[in-house]
Amino acid sequence: MGLSFSLAWRLFKHEARRGELTIILLAIVLSVTSVLSLSLFSERLQQALTDRSAEFIAADSQLRSRTPVPTEWIEEAKARGLNTAFQISTRSMVFAGDELALSDLRAVDDAYPLKGLVKLTDTPFGQGFETQEKPQPGNVWIDSRLIQLLGVEIGDLIEVGDASLRVDKILSEIPDGGFSVFNTDPMLLMSDADIQTTNLTGAGSRVSYKHYFTGDAGDIEGYYDWLRPKLDREIHRWQSIEDDESPIGQSVQRAEEFFLLASLLAIILAAVSIAVAAQRFSQRHFDPVAIMKTLGASKETVRQIYLIQICFITLLGILLGITIGYVLQEAVVALLADSVPVSLNTWYWRPLGIAAFTGITCALLFSLYPLMQLFSVPPLRVLRKDIDATLSSRALQFVFSGSAVFLLMLFYSGDLKISAILFASGIALVLSLIGMTYLLIMLGRKLGSGGMGAWTLAWARIRRRAMGNSVQLISFAITIMLLLVVLVMRNDMVQQWRDQLPEGTPNYFLANVTESQKQGLVASFDRNNIEYEKFYPVARGRFVSINDESIRTEITKEDEDPADDGRQGLGREANLTWSTVLQYGNEIKEGQWHDNWQEGEPTPISIEEEVAERLDINMGDVLTFNVGSEQIVATVTSIRKIDWQTLQPNFFFVLHPKAMENFQATYITSFHLDVDRKSEISALMAPFASVTLFDVDARIDQIREIIDQVSLAVEFILILVLVAGGLVLIAQVQASMDERLQELAILRTLGLKGSRIRFSVINEFLIIGVVAGLMAALSNEFSLWLLQTNVFQMPPSLHMEYWGIAPIAGAIVVGLLGALGCWRLLSLNTGTLLRKMV
Amino acid sequence: MNATPSMIETTSLIKKVNTSEGSLQILQPISFSVNAGQTVAIIGASGSGKSTLLGLLAGLDEVSGGEIFLDGQPLHDMDEEARARLRGEKVGFIFQSFMLVQSLTALENIMLPAEIAGLSDPKGRAEKIIAQVGLEHRAHHFPNQLSGGEQQRVAIARAFITEPKILFADEPTGNLDSANSQKVEDLLFSMNADLKTTLILVTHDDELASRCQRQLRMHAGELSEVTEPLKAVAGGQ
Repeated sequence: MGLSFSLAWRLFKHEARRGELTIILLAIVLSVTSVLSLSLFSERLQQALTDRSAEFIAADSQLRSRTPVPTEWIEEAKARGLNTAFQISTRSMVFAGDELALSDLRAVDDAYPLKGLVKLTDTPFGQGFETQEKPQPGNVWIDSRLIQLLGVEIGDLIEVGDASLRVDKILSEIPDGGFSVFNTDPMLLMSDADIQTTNLTGAGSRVSYKHYFTGDAGDIEGYYDWLRPKLDREIHRWQSIEDDESPIGQSVQRAEEFFLLASLLAIILAAVSIAVAAQRFSQRHFDPVAIMKTLGASKETVRQIYLIQICFITLLGILLGITIGYVLQEAVVALLADSVPVSLNTWYWRPLGIAAFTGITCALLFSLYPLMQLFSVPPLRVLRKDIDATLSSRALQFVFSGSAVFLLMLFYSGDLKISAILFASGIALVLSLIGMTYLLIMLGRKLGSGGMGAWTLAWARIRRRAMGNSVQLISFAITIMLLLVVLVMRNDMVQQWRDQLPEGTPNYFLANVTESQKQGLVASFDRNNIEYEKFYPVARGRFVSINDESIRTEITKEDEDPADDGRQGLGREANLTWSTVLQYGNEIKEGQWHDNWQEGEPTPISIEEEVAERLDINMGDVLTFNVGSEQIVATVTSIRKIDWQTLQPNFFFVLHPKAMENFQATYITSFHLDVDRKSEISALMAPFASVTLFDVDARIDQIREIIDQVSLAVEFILILVLVAGGLVLIAQVQASMDERLQELAILRTLGLKGSRIRFSVINEFLIIGVVAGLMAALSNEFSLWLLQTNVFQMPPSLHMEYWGIAPIAGAIVVGLLGALGCWRLLSLNTGTLLRKMV
Repeated sequence: MNATPSMIETTSLIKKVNTSEGSLQILQPISFSVNAGQTVAIIGASGSGKSTLLGLLAGLDEVSGGEIFLDGQPLHDMDEEARARLRGEKVGFIFQSFMLVQSLTALENIMLPAEIAGLSDPKGRAEKIIAQVGLEHRAHHFPNQLSGGEQQRVAIARAFITEPKILFADEPTGNLDSANSQKVEDLLFSMNADLKTTLILVTHDDELASRCQRQLRMHAGELSEVTEPLKAVAGGQ
């Protein structure tokens, strides 16, 4: 062991110094660097985005309750090191002189909000600004709509229950204000110290108690585990940011999946480069192994020497990789700090562990087969150079490399499904690529026979090294394919995000528009050049029964909890709309849309699929609603899927207009008003005082900002992966260039002109580049189809443009890299070339 | 049995290789012996089977039939591990292409067999022997920083560091110019004489062969004793 260690150390030291380990070291450094910087960055980004989405519930987790929560529950949270805050909310009439309005009262403690900030505005419906202040006892902050409805000004007193409180500030927004076009009452924020004096929380009142928690994810989880058995489903509801199904939540989740994918692909890229480098490392050591064996070294000694040496290389690679990766990621974070929300000054052990694990697994498992080959080199090679390793089993190599890749994927993603999908498709890809490569090489055989032209030489070389070239082709193709996958996924994803909120997305919603006001509004919008959306008729109905079975449970808890967002939709009170046109973003999953309804058939109703599932409503069920004093009975004729990611008013129940002929409808609609025209809003709405106006600009800005930031981060990841891929290509060309050394030297010695050799090498790389690009485009489609349908839940799409781009780009990049490598070799004189061969 | 013990003794040694056209016998049954301390040249044209025979005698390759005893040990019965052990203990090598480990210095290359054989103070031994071949000033150079002649001198030093009982040299001057060849030959024969090592030298250079006490000719896989003097060369040292 002593001998092995000292020999291994000596070999390592000299080879490292002489630059002989550069390629394999670079490959390990590359894998560790890319994995570390990617995972560190995405971890930080995810943390920042999670923090960001935490703002929407003003905490990391929330406990909502319909009754006061035992104080020991909160004490326990505090004892576990969690930060807590409290809000009590109810709906009540508030009065200002003769004016009154139903409002959404929120009484908060000093700690509220734990995440995000309350926003105030100086003028009603004006631009909001953040504040750290809280309403003091005796004061209330009321929103623009309440100011408008009550006709009050700052400093006026209003009556809230039994208390008389002073209007102190105009409230613009609270983090967990939620967003619902229906039923949202104007908001009032007050101190929880005043809630007793209002006498609004006594018996019979509908009050919601919210406790907010922040702290370490582990602590919160621990607390929830403690709390869960004590919770009563009827009374309590625990909410975490992971439950966020809003467009932001979904965008963040998809971005996380993308980071995961990008990192997995970076790992595979790194693995490919290590595989190439390890093969080369092994071949370079065939002679030393034969010499040592000849001199009497046992197999065991040889094995130890090289395993120890690989360990040294791995260790150095990991250290260098971690250092570079950390510095790189730190630099990028510093560069992007202004535009991308990354949590700074945090060190995460997970990425570090993953990076080191990647380095070790890649280096060891990928070099295992080349090393086994190396160990099998017979001593007789000292006499006969043509004798290679006696071990030659591609299957073994695939087993080792395959298990390395799978292990890494599984370890990294912690998700068996994603790993299995990617892995299985990877295997299918490699197999089909091998088949295609052979086919192409066979085809090229026909093309490449003839004189000694540059093309003939190129084909001749490709043909002669069929197996070597197929491995090379596959690794080029995989690299190009991985880059394509990341590029296309990023394009599709960013596009989808942008499509959610195109320019001109409505930033105001109107509700309670009467038939007569509708005409006036349309005229006013047209006159003022304002884009507006469709007017949806709405009637409030009370959901009474399904097939004569009366409904006891509420559809949602919105009645008690005004903070729920529009997604929750409606309580037992249902907002009914009617139309024969299927709304944008809706898709019929079952049954038929009722645009062909005929007189005499039962009244049709279309229902949203999740509500249908929750209430166990099936096709053909008869639903009964009370609207005013009338009853509406309708039969379910279709079940719809709604794309909740569009910021459109959406309806759980859509009736046929015929059913609603006799009812007075009000309308809801939305319109877009540029931010710089915000001041016009008061004048615009003045003639329609009874219409309820919602300003969702702030909300849209927030979503757009996050989407922009996530897109930028995705862009960064893309660049990282591209750089990693580029380096892998260089390593591959470099490795294959060495294989060409001997041939170049011979051709050169025989007096072949440099330009012809150069052309033949460039042509060879061009051919490989085109073929690899073509195969990459093909396999790209396959992988994308798998990913889009199985992981990202996106509609699959064809990417014909890449069928042209990939081969051309492949030819240019691989050809260029080949030309560069070749130039370097040909710039050496023949003597040096021949010496290098020895 | 001879009075002097045999260092090498072969009986009906044959070697076959598998080719696409079936099995091909490249060594016809060979029986001969070499006494300890003897210097023997195996001469013959390229492709006659010289190197194959050398590979078998040195235990680098496996026999297809027959027996080889090296210093009384049955090479034909040993597996690769046992043969490696035997090589480490008793055999030294010199090759046409020097076969130095490129990433070890001259001194480290010389130390290598001593280390493998587990001898004491390999470094001290190497320093002593590198001085003998006149390369102490090149001790820390890597092979590619040395001339061909220097590399072969390093190889000779490496071959002798373990004071092997038998030395196999495969075209030791094949890659050298005549001046260097002479130097290397002289060094090889003088060190060999000093240590009384048995020398098996494969060459197609009659002049070099004639410096050995005994010459065997390999022709189409058959080995025969050369009885006629090869050339009118009488040592010439």
